[in-house]
Order: sequence, then structure tokens, then C-alpha cells
Amino acid sequence: MKSHVKRQARGSRALFFSATVVGGVLTLSIFAFMVILGLPLFSTHSLTLLLTQKWAPDQGLYGIFSFICGTCAVVSLSLLVAFPLSLGNAILIHLIAPRRLARFLHQVVKMMTGIPTVIYGFVGIFFLVPLVREWFSRGSGMSILSAALLLALLISPTMILVFLESFAAIPVSHIRALEALGGTRRQKLVHVILPGARTGIMTGLLLASGRALGDTMIALMVAGNATAQPESLLDSVRTLTAHIALVMAADFDSIEFKTIFACGIILYLWTAILTLSLRHLHFNSTKPSHDQSF
Amino acid sequence: MTRVFDFLLYIFAWISGLILVGACGTFMVFLLTQGLPALSFDLIFGSTGMWDALLLKRVVSDGLLPAIVGTFLLVFLVLLTALPFGLGAGIYLAEYAGKRSKSFFSLIFDLLAGVPSIVIGLFGFSLTIFLHKHFTFLTPCLLISALALALLVLPYLIRSTQMALEELPTSLRLTAAALGADQATTIRFVLLPQAAAGIFSGIILAIGRAAEDTAVIMLTGVVVSAGIPRSLFNSYEALPFYIYYMASQFSDQQELQQGFGAALILLAICGLLFTLAWLIRKKITARLLYHH
Amino acid sequence: MKKIIEIKNLSFYYGKQQILDNISAEFAASAITAITGPSGSGKSTFLMTINRLWEELNGATMSGRVSLFLDHEKLDIYGRDVSLSWLRRKVGMVFQIPNPLPMSIYRNLALPLRMAGLPKENFGQKVETALKQAFLWPEVKDRLRDDARTLSGGQQQRLCIARAMILEPAILLLDEPTSSLDEKAAREIESLLLTLKDQCTQLMVSHDQAQVKRVADEVMEMVAGRMS
Repeated sequence: MKSHVKRQARGSRALFFSATVVGGVLTLSIFAFMVILGLPLFSTHSLTLLLTQKWAPDQGLYGIFSFICGTCAVVSLSLLVAFPLSLGNAILIHLIAPRRLARFLHQVVKMMTGIPTVIYGFVGIFFLVPLVREWFSRGSGMSILSAALLLALLISPTMILVFLESFAAIPVSHIRALEALGGTRRQKLVHVILPGARTGIMTGLLLASGRALGDTMIALMVAGNATAQPESLLDSVRTLTAHIALVMAADFDSIEFKTIFACGIILYLWTAILTLSLRHLHFNSTKPSHDQSF
Repeated sequence: MTRVFDFLLYIFAWISGLILVGACGTFMVFLLTQGLPALSFDLIFGSTGMWDALLLKRVVSDGLLPAIVGTFLLVFLVLLTALPFGLGAGIYLAEYAGKRSKSFFSLIFDLLAGVPSIVIGLFGFSLTIFLHKHFTFLTPCLLISALALALLVLPYLIRSTQMALEELPTSLRLTAAALGADQATTIRFVLLPQAAAGIFSGIILAIGRAAEDTAVIMLTGVVVSAGIPRSLFNSYEALPFYIYYMASQFSDQQELQQGFGAALILLAICGLLFTLAWLIRKKITARLLYHH
Repeated sequence: MKKIIEIKNLSFYYGKQQILDNISAEFAASAITAITGPSGSGKSTFLMTINRLWEELNGATMSGRVSLFLDHEKLDIYGRDVSLSWLRRKVGMVFQIPNPLPMSIYRNLALPLRMAGLPKENFGQKVETALKQAFLWPEVKDRLRDDARTLSGGQQQRLCIARAMILEPAILLLDEPTSSLDEKAAREIESLLLTLKDQCTQLMVSHDQAQVKRVADEVMEMVAGRMS
């Protein structure tokens, strides 16, 4: 064969492609498995019953409505706490704190993202839960409030980092323009930084809600796992994720066991909606996309 | 009026900062004061004695060693299984994929990144039940946990690889092409070494996730007491699960102390793995680009 | 005159815009041919049709024929079975802005050898020879592990020439190799190119009439995509 003749292209492309396909197939099969294993449940229990009934296996009631409520309560309260906290910290680091302190705070926030969730839960049980019990002198302290506060601590670093990234992406020229007009820090923030970082702020919120929704350990350890419908922030609740973890020990063939696949489907779809909103958000903005991992 | 609002903003920001740092500080101080006294060789090696345990002469039954070893084994196995797929898919998406397949697969992997870890654990568990019908020896075990965790960290690896490659300037590709490199050669000799640092950030993230995750492993084979696993098909112990278990099942003050000690050790291991990966990243980049 | 490149009816489009318009030309072996002309007349594009580098860019199309005479054989480089890797090792290229890769000086030179899959044992020797040939050895021999981007502009360009020459190409394409350099560095490059004349044929795009007079054996002028 002559030296100039083309050699057969090697199979690297095929190799890389198969790695991609394997990953893709596995992702889709997660959903498929949930549906297949959850199906027997829907043949005996209608979807409406599943979603509206209360949870009382001894009476033959297997509704997961209270878990959905519990999840919503924990997630939204944690966001309610974490959002202003994160925004304040991002503003502090980006705009107000002296450079050295800002760098230090930034490092602390980065470090916090590396703290294992189970440790948050562990410290929560022995530090926060007794505190909540004493403050409100009601119940065990294992409550929506405790879980939400800990989750807020867990998701804030992620939010702060995304906020900071979007603040940093705002063109310096816009800020200089306002400074030249004698704008104060607040005016810079209100007129340039916050409007410019709108997409970033939404991204941070969506990412953080995904993390809060997907977290298992904190709710499992400090929310108390009660199956009743929660009525106050001090009530103990069970989240969808915690329900999966708790029922795993039960008999595989029971109806009880099959409800965890319903929880799995709901969680999968819920996070899918968040992911799609994130993509939609970035599709509609010209800003560079952020890391979308929860 | 402007001044008042400026002042309020100022106060709001500082209070937020104080709350966060205060919470984080309290958290750390509490963990340290409770955990440090518990740290001892006995905590890790139990009554077995350090050398006997390390030389595998005797089995550690009441110390944390099996859990620590289990966690390291998990991280190692997860990287072993997830890296080829993560790198492969990342390279495919960045360098080979057409517009359509790229947007399709990146949607899929974004979805995967969002799936809660407990759902991935449930998937691993159901897959095991499913396979158990055909391969009866297969029960939840170290291998299943590692594979499920690999799926959990896969999107991190894919995305960091893809982004590290896509950020490289076109001039690199053109220069390599002008030197006679085909696409595969360009990727191997020019692009991957340049992207190594970025890819390693993803690996560091993946290591952290694999070491700290509890939800996946509690559904796929971790147990409280199993000793050091003898094969991939055994159940095993891991630090995060031990901590979770101690939080609810401790029977006396000493066990609680052990829980705190374990939490501290897990934190230290995470820190160690981060530092290690960071050092390796520096070394590898230097090796790939500057040594003979 | 012994010809080494023969071009027939070459037209080139970038999108709908015509860059080259039915060019036919021949180039002499072991000589330096300068290609001059106003900017935007398609000179760089013309060079890239000879090593097919334009195929790495999106949205370009070409028609016509480019043949090389190598080892007493005529070869259509756009033939179906021609290996791009082989072609680009035979036809080296040096760019307007020096483009050392972000790695050490040594690795920059060893890269083409590694990518060609040559045995590693000779790398050190070959790198040294190439650096000596490019008059760069005395300046860099103690800092081979330094990042190539720490070199001066002129040194970087000589490094790039050394890198292009290390695989012993038959033809070297030079796209305004001195236009980003100062006068002194440019003169050094010029004298380097003159010493390389025995080893390979050079096609050099240049704006600088004085430079063309100093180095070129032949001159071709290009205006609005046509060559005269």
C-alpha cells in the first residue's frame, strides 16, 4: 500500500458514541423501571386515590398525598429562608465586603458545598432539633421547621455561587456608567446588577429547589417522618424521598412497597420539570449557561 | 431617602453574612467539640489493635475500619466504572456529535443530573431484584452500589469533560490539523491534555459525591456490620451510612460519641480526597504539558 | 524548471462569496515563491487549498485540481484515497501569528513526532536537530521545559518553523510569517527561510515588497481571487 493512501478510520467515534448511548439508555430506563414496577399498584388503586387518600396501611389506605404536602412544605420553607440569605450573602461578597473578607467568605461558601449531607443531618438531630424543641416547647422538635432550616443551610452555598457567577458576568462598562453618574451601591444593585442577573437568580432558585427536593437524608433524619397531614410548621412530616428510604425495609410484594415507585415517578417528573425550566431559561437568554447539576 | 435605603441594604447584607458564617461556625464548633474527644485508635480499630487490623490478621468487629475501607472501595469502584463512560460521552458530545444528537443527549444528561439520588438508589435496587430472578447469587452488594453511584456521578463527568473541551480555542484544532493530526489524534495528543485540568474538576466533584452519598447506598447493599467485604458481591459498611444509623439507633453515650467521631472522620476523608485530587490535577497537567 | 505543484481551474467559495476565481498555476521545486497582493485577495485561502486545511473550516466549498509531484509521481491531493494526515505532513504550514501550543518548548516539537507514531528514542535527537536548524538551540537549550509562550515573538515563530520542519515536509506554506514581528526578528526569519531552501519548496504570502525582493526566487501576484 502506498504511503499516501488513507488508512481505515479507527473506531474511536463508535466507541465514544456507545459510551454516550449507554448513559442515555440508563437514564431513560430509570423512569421505565419506576413505571413498570409501579404499574401493579395502578391496577388495584386508581391514581386519584393514590394522590388524595391518607396513609393508613392498617385500614388499607395507601395515599401519598400527605408526603407530597410534606415535601412541598419543607422545600418551600427552605427556599423562603435560603433565598434572602443567599441574595444577601452574594451582595455582601460582590459589592459590600472589603476584598479580603469577600475572598474569605467566598472560600467558606465553596467549602460548605463539600460538607456531606448526612453530617448536616447528624448535627441537626443533636443540635438544632433540641433547640427547636426548647424554643417552641412543643412536640419533639423533629419538624418541618428543623428540616427546612437545615436544608436552607445545605442549598444556600449553591445559590450563592450561582448568584455570584451571574453578578460577575455583568459587563463592567454598565457598572462604570452608573458610577460615573454618581450612583450609590444600592442604585448600582437595583438598576444594573439585579436586572442583569435575573436569569442567574432564577437559575440559582431552580437549582436550589432541585437540590432541596432531591435531598433524602436531612428530611429523613430531622423531619420526624410522621405520616399524618401536617398542619403547622412544628409538625413532623414525611417527604417523598424519606418515604422511599423508609419503606424499603418492608415486604417486596406489599402494596405499601409499590407506593415507593409512585414516589419515584413523581420525583423523577418533578425534577425533570425543573431541568426543562432551566434549559428553557437559558435557551431564552444569551448568557452563558450555568452548571445545571443539583 | 436614598441614604436610608442604602443603609438598609448594607444592614441586610451584613446580617445575611453573619447568619451564614455564624451557622457554619456553630456547626463546625459543635461537631469538633463533640467529635474530637471521640477520636482515637480504638474508634477506628476497635479492640483488635492497629497492626493486626491493618495486616488483616484479625477482623475488626467494633471499630470504624471496615466502614472507612468500604467508603474508599466505593469511591475507587465508582471512578473505575464511571470514568470511561463519562469521558467517552463527554468527548463524543464535544467533538463528534451533530447538532441534533448533541441537544438530545445533553437534555438526557441534564435530566440525569437532576434525578434525586434516592431514585437512583431505587433504580439500582429494582434492577437487582429484576436480575436476581436470572442470577440468584445477585443481591444488593458492593458492586450494585458502585454501579448505581457511578450513574449518579456520570453527568458531572460528562459535563466537565464536554465543557473543558468546548472551551478550547479553535486555533488549537487548526494547529494540530496543520501538523497532520486526524480528529482522534488531535483529541488524544492536543485537546485532552489541555482539557485535563477541567476534566479533573469534574472528577473531584464525582469523588465528593461518591464518598458522601447515603441515599443510594442504603437501598443497594450497605449494612451496619459486615466487616471488610471479601468480594464485589458482598454487602459492606460505609461511613455515611454508619453516621445515619448511629443518629437514630445509638444506645448509649459512647455510641453517640462514636457517631460524632465518624462524622469528623468522614469530613476529614472528604477533605483529604479533595486535596489529593487537586494535587494530582496539578501534577498531571504539568506532566502532560511540560515534562519530556 | 522542475515543477512541484500544479494547480488547475481552482475556484473557492466561502458561503456564496467567491474567494478564488479559476486559478491555474505552477510552482517550482526548491525555490521560494512569494505570493503578493492586496489584503482580502484570497492569498491565505489559496495556501490552505494546498494542504486542504480549509476543510477544517465550516461553510467553504472548492472546485478544481491541485496536484503534487513527489517522488517522480503526480498525485491529485483531492483524490479519494489521499490521507489528510500524510498530506499535511508532506505540506507543512506556518501561520501569520505564531501559534506555539500551550505546552513546553520540547513538547511543541515532539508533538508532530508523537502524533505520527514515530519511535520515542529518537525524539531528543530530532528535537535538537530541528532547533539547531532554526537557529534556536543556543537560546532555548537550557529551558526546554518552559512554556513555549514565554518565548519572544520571533523565537515563537522560529519554533513554529522548526515544528513544521521536523517531519521533513517537501513543501512549506508560509502565511505572512513575519507580519506580526519587528524588523530584527523578521530578518532572522528571512535568513532562516533562505537556508531551508535546499530542503523544501516554500510558498510565502507577503505584503512586504522589500522582503519579497530579498528572499523570493519568483513572485506571483493575486488580485481579487485571480492570479497573474
